[in-house]
Amino acid sequence: MRSFIPRTVYVIQKIRRFFRFGNTGYLFVLPALLYMLAFVGYPIISNFILSVQDVTVTTINAPTKDFVGFENYRTLLEDEVLITSIRNTFIFTIACLIFQFLIGFALALFFNKDFPFAKPLRGLLMIPWMIPMTVSGLMFKFMFSTNVGIINQLLQMSRVIEEPIEWLMHPGSAMFSLIATNTWIGIPFNMILLSTGLTTIPPELYEAAAIDGANKRQSFFKITVPLLKSAIEAVLILGFIYTFKVFDLVFVMTNGGPVNSTHLLSTYSYKLSFGLFKYSQGAATANILFIILFCVSIIYLKFVYNDKGTAA
Amino acid sequence: MNVKEKKNLTMCIAALLITVVLLFPLYWMLVTSLKGEIEIFKVPPTFFPKVLNLDSYAAQLEHGDFNMFASFKNSFIISFCAMCISLILAIPAAYGIARFHFKGKKLAILTFLITQMLPVSVILTPMFIIFRDMNLLNHQLSAILADATIGIPFSVLILNGYFASIPKELEDAGRIDGCNRFSSFLLIFVPIAKPGVIVCAVFSFLYAWGDLAYGMTFIQDQRLRPITAGMFNFLGQYGTKWSYLTAFAVVTIIPVTLIFIFMQKYIISGLTSGAVKE
Repeated sequence: MRSFIPRTVYVIQKIRRFFRFGNTGYLFVLPALLYMLAFVGYPIISNFILSVQDVTVTTINAPTKDFVGFENYRTLLEDEVLITSIRNTFIFTIACLIFQFLIGFALALFFNKDFPFAKPLRGLLMIPWMIPMTVSGLMFKFMFSTNVGIINQLLQMSRVIEEPIEWLMHPGSAMFSLIATNTWIGIPFNMILLSTGLTTIPPELYEAAAIDGANKRQSFFKITVPLLKSAIEAVLILGFIYTFKVFDLVFVMTNGGPVNSTHLLSTYSYKLSFGLFKYSQGAATANILFIILFCVSIIYLKFVYNDKGTAA
Repeated sequence: MNVKEKKNLTMCIAALLITVVLLFPLYWMLVTSLKGEIEIFKVPPTFFPKVLNLDSYAAQLEHGDFNMFASFKNSFIISFCAMCISLILAIPAAYGIARFHFKGKKLAILTFLITQMLPVSVILTPMFIIFRDMNLLNHQLSAILADATIGIPFSVLILNGYFASIPKELEDAGRIDGCNRFSSFLLIFVPIAKPGVIVCAVFSFLYAWGDLAYGMTFIQDQRLRPITAGMFNFLGQYGTKWSYLTAFAVVTIIPVTLIFIFMQKYIISGLTSGAVKE
């Protein structure tokens, strides 16, 4: 006790000196950083620990949890639904990326032209990206529904199909519906980022190319695409990250059905944890998702923040 | 009509068509919420409600269990508090990163960057257990604390750019006038970075408003749940009551639409400066 008081004073002095000399930055950054470490960092670690334990609804109140090593991962890798979820997650992500990028790019080029109302109309197209995914999911679930869905009604009215299609009742068409919905959400994001990229290309370049006899296609592939490279990279990698972790949309529209055929890693993890109360297996599934995303995030940081140094 | 005008006109019409097609789902949702149940099932569909029917909205005022106006209030409380936490923590953090040099700064930036990309699923189960141990389940604070983790990293990264672009001379001038590093932060930097602060406020609010996973998992009590979770519940119980469901959805996107109308400039700037390097 005797040595405790001087020691405390010493520590306090040291802390004060630390912040006084060139370390003021910490004072500003620490609160947010500590918050993130407490509510994100700690859960990530505890999610990993959870995934090597055996925690289910029966053992969650037990004082000590059984350590089972990688048993959960082993069980999962033999689980057909998990394998389907991994495959679905990749199919969903890549299909969405391709469609929303192509359509978004086309719209960016179109709305970049100088004509009246181009700006306000392009602004309006941002709305799908802003509304909660729960709402978009519900809206498209209604539109894709078999009997009252407007999509079936329009297709039948134009005599493309005779009988209504059960969009959300079959694995293939359900996946298609999910991809279509998420593409609708992702188009504005692609469009607006690529539009911003397009405005940075000086118009003189196109004029010079035209004088040199380049046609529209040549100037697109030789000027537009190379100069948009960083915007394209950002859009594709960020799009991958955002799409890969989509949860709400699938949860609302199909909830993994019919018969577990449209689960993504995110929804399957949720089902394991909060539907079947196998918390450890849910955590392990989420970790698989996390590891894949983490790798992609690193690639993104390398591409986009590489030469920017500290200023993001 | 000369060639340019003609071209403008065709472009305008094409642009209008694209907008109509892409925004049709939203219109369809609004129209459906104003129809009666019988008209919804009508083939061929009516593109404008024959009789304006406000029952779907009015009924919500009476039912206790799925009262969408109550859950609207819950969502508002949760989103507003999450936004405040995000701003209070993120503004100083962004300032610290932009204007000071300290050890581990790169690591701090990296932490925010990585957490921004984190899937909800990874922290959902452990957070559920943490909040359960803290007796915070069924309390809106759990959703607020969780939602702020989406707003903070986004805001730090956006504001960092704003603070970094403010010239050093302004800070020096402030110091001569007697500002220390804290008052110059509050009196000089925050006011100048106001547009950035608004971007962050808008996005932190919208992220929390759109959240389903946290609100649904941590809060079981129907009366405390946010509107997205309420809507999902309603979908499970009255899966084919489309007029009610679409009314629910319309109410959910009212604040989003209002924010969009008044803050469009900020939204686009937030979206682009968050992702593309200058």
